[in-house]
Amino acid sequence: MINATKKWIFLKISSAILVPLMVWFLFNLVSFYDKDYNEVLLFFTNQPTKFLFSLFIIFAYFYSALSISEVFEDYIEHEKLKNIANKLLYLFAIIIPLSTLLLLYKLSI
Amino acid sequence: MKDKNPLSPHIQIYNWHISSLISISHRITGIINIIIITLICFWVALLLLGNTNYELIQKFFETYFGKFVIVGIVWSFSFQILSEIRHIFWDLGFGFELKTSNITGLLVIFGSLVLTILIAGKNLFL
Repeated sequence: MINATKKWIFLKISSAILVPLMVWFLFNLVSFYDKDYNEVLLFFTNQPTKFLFSLFIIFAYFYSALSISEVFEDYIEHEKLKNIANKLLYLFAIIIPLSTLLLLYKLSI
Repeated sequence: MKDKNPLSPHIQIYNWHISSLISISHRITGIINIIIITLICFWVALLLLGNTNYELIQKFFETYFGKFVIVGIVWSFSFQILSEIRHIFWDLGFGFELKTSNITGLLVIFGSLVLTILIAGKNLFL
């Protein structure tokens, strides 16, 4: 199996997982966005929220990194520049969710 | 041949129709959504700093602009969800006919607006 096929399969699996997680997050976001500190803290520290939110950001960054790299593939001509852009993108897609997960699991009421 | 992959034609050369509009909007909302999710990650990080710092965010979301931002987030996510479902059906081999593709494209546009009104309207304005 060539790399482009693997990438396409990963993209499709992650999008199928991400859709219900986005729906879940959207319904919760509109119900807690203007609540006070303690209520928002309670939302993020409760289970299964913690677990679902972790899955949401992992799959969101995974899916976004793959799909944005497709945009780079389509529109960046210079090979070296494309490689740098892809490396920065993948680094960003690892560091942000990883540090958020670490902070999330440090949060307590 | 030096460059194996030809670049995609840039969007200015296309005649606009529903499919191209949905395609470019899908990419734009995808990028906007990851920026939004990154801001949400910073929001979670801010919770660690305690109640005093959090009041600023709470006050921001109580303003009309704050509510407008939330409505924008709901629309952008809704659009991406519906467009992604359309892609999943294509991947399963359904909906390629021009007429069906135009109808599902319109469903994505109007469906995202209806979803935004249903989700955001109920929680933000009622």
